[in-house]
Amino acid sequence: MSRPQSQAEYLARLVPPSVAGINRRSLLAGAAGTGALLGTGLLAGCGDDSGSGGSSTDVSLGSNQSDPKPKDVLVKITDGFKTSSGVQVAVNTVDHNTFQENINNYLQGKPDDVFTWFAGYRMRFFAQKGLASDISDVWGKLSGYSDAFKKASTGDDGKQYFVPGTYYPWAVFYRKSVWQQRGYQVPTTLDQFTALGAQMKRDGLIPIAFADKDGWPAMGTFDILNLRINGYQFHIDLMAGKEAWTSDKVKKVFDTWAGLLPLHQPDSLGRTWQEAAQSLQQKKSGMYLLGLFVGQQFSNDEQDDLDFFTFPEIDPAIGAKALDAPIDGYMMARKPKNEDNARKLLEYFGGKAAADINLKNDPAVLVANSGADVGGYTALQKKAAELVGSATEIAQFLDRDTRPDFASTVIIPALQQFIKNPKDIGGLTSSIENQKKSIFTD
Amino acid sequence: MSVDTPVRRRKLTPLRMLLHGFLIVVSLAWLFPIAWAVLTSLRSYDYTAANGYVSFGGWTFDNYVTAWRTAEFGQHFLNSVYITVPAVLLTLFLASCVAFVIARFSWKLNLVLLGIFTAANLLPQQALLIPLFRLFTEVPLPEFMSDSELLYDSYWGLILINVAFQCGFCVFVLSNYMKALPRDLYEAAMVDGASIWRQYWQVTMPLCRPALAALATLEVTWIYNEFFWATVLMRTGDKFPVTSSLNNLRGEFFTDNNLVSAGSVLVAIPTLVIFFMLQRHFVRGLTLGASKG
Repeated sequence: MSRPQSQAEYLARLVPPSVAGINRRSLLAGAAGTGALLGTGLLAGCGDDSGSGGSSTDVSLGSNQSDPKPKDVLVKITDGFKTSSGVQVAVNTVDHNTFQENINNYLQGKPDDVFTWFAGYRMRFFAQKGLASDISDVWGKLSGYSDAFKKASTGDDGKQYFVPGTYYPWAVFYRKSVWQQRGYQVPTTLDQFTALGAQMKRDGLIPIAFADKDGWPAMGTFDILNLRINGYQFHIDLMAGKEAWTSDKVKKVFDTWAGLLPLHQPDSLGRTWQEAAQSLQQKKSGMYLLGLFVGQQFSNDEQDDLDFFTFPEIDPAIGAKALDAPIDGYMMARKPKNEDNARKLLEYFGGKAAADINLKNDPAVLVANSGADVGGYTALQKKAAELVGSATEIAQFLDRDTRPDFASTVIIPALQQFIKNPKDIGGLTSSIENQKKSIFTD
Repeated sequence: MSVDTPVRRRKLTPLRMLLHGFLIVVSLAWLFPIAWAVLTSLRSYDYTAANGYVSFGGWTFDNYVTAWRTAEFGQHFLNSVYITVPAVLLTLFLASCVAFVIARFSWKLNLVLLGIFTAANLLPQQALLIPLFRLFTEVPLPEFMSDSELLYDSYWGLILINVAFQCGFCVFVLSNYMKALPRDLYEAAMVDGASIWRQYWQVTMPLCRPALAALATLEVTWIYNEFFWATVLMRTGDKFPVTSSLNNLRGEFFTDNNLVSAGSVLVAIPTLVIFFMLQRHFVRGLTLGASKG
């Protein structure tokens, strides 16, 4: 198959003709004009041709929550929904990675009425193509969400397509006992941060645990440096392909990172994040920039010893208020069989009851609804919630804020290349920019 | 070259030692990943995480128990049976019908027909993904056949796909095999008044038993191992065959490699059983059709 020439064309070929509202002739019409044609005709063809009305007492939910704990939590929430509304939820669990890789097929086939998904570009992408339904009316009934969450649930057309469920922030984690013993202070500027790193090195610790075998953890470091140096809006524009990777702004991110790399754990390309987290847990490393899930590598009695701080300020004009906090939540498919029940279910997911169940059963995440009873939060969760609550902007993590093909085929190898050879920043950024141009084309 | 005598053959020449050394190295290289997986699957994650994989200890059988439970292998093995058994039977039946026609009758399009079936083997399956996916979402099925009411997300669809992709190879092999059967048999059968169906079912098929057995072993292994179509054309997690459900053992952030090893070993067991039970047929299957008898 030939490579799509423009973004519109790429998007268009993800949509079956029955949705796109085009006929065979226009498909045959050829290369040049087709992309634009499809791009505009997308939403036109969403007629009611299925006519299959499911029964009114059930609703289906496609779930990527295949890990034991979140899976169990989801069962409890759907049970709660059944008790409150009498509607039975048929949960279709597919493992996380397969679900994600198959999402295009899944949404164009016969998806479940409601499905689990992510906020950010990944949500807007499908909303824009008409593969998800507008649920602004559900949002009208929801309360307890900050503007940052509403913004993260809104598509390009200003309507809501997403109900946030849980999230977790990225921050710099450390063990309180280690820091107390050595008298380390939480750094608030980059200079203090580097000085602290140098001190840890003298004390025989690895200053910053680091791993990038799987490709995505390094994105967290790039993200936070970019957010601190260039701010949130630049991050969004860069991810949307609107800013040049060869710009001095991006080069400065890599420059700063190159300065910090000697403080990072070496040979990171052969290490998984679990192993890096274990070095923190075994008190071999001083700190680790990762998501809240880092706690999974700590035993229960060590959880209280885990603390974090947000990545320090680099540019006083930008501040240190933005951060990565990926949000997981729910969306409604394009033509749900049981639309009424699907909306009811989404309302329940967004409500206090579901948030309370989530909170009680899964300590690895935070709930998005501020109305939830947060009495059950651990100290770490409370602090994380405060951090995100005080954030001016919430980014969704690099691979959720950009096109999936760009993140996996360009950024992952590029960052790994950078870690191997941090000197050639000019060559690296122009290589990213060239590849970007072939993926983001208008 | 001198004539080899048995005595001579046993003599160890440097060349022969080299050959054996090479063979041993190659076989070890092949066995290593499997042995490593088995070894890993028998150790606890905590131990290998603390001591690294190049260590000794931490033996446990828990991985197998956990793998079986979390990935719900019981159900998924059954799903694999639902797909594999009908698909293999149907493939062999249809392929033998075509092969019989190609071998038994000589008409103009013989070679073309064989060519088409063989050529279909060469098509990369991935290239057909999008058209087939569209097709499958458009073909309705009655509800008693599949609760999705479509070919998409139904066992029928997967069986069909497997039959379609495996027929080519089977036709090729079976027609070559049937061509080797003596023509006199059919003449005798005709003299006795046997119909075409009888010639196929009662004369040809029994004689093809070795070929069918060989193909059956190969096909069971191939169709059982197939997971691409199952992942793409299925939507319901509970209907995935066991190969696709292996992914259930991978966590979102965290993957316990020891657990995945245990799962992989479990999934590989049926193919190993088939192989060792029918090893003779298996090897023959690989060379069938290589030479026209």
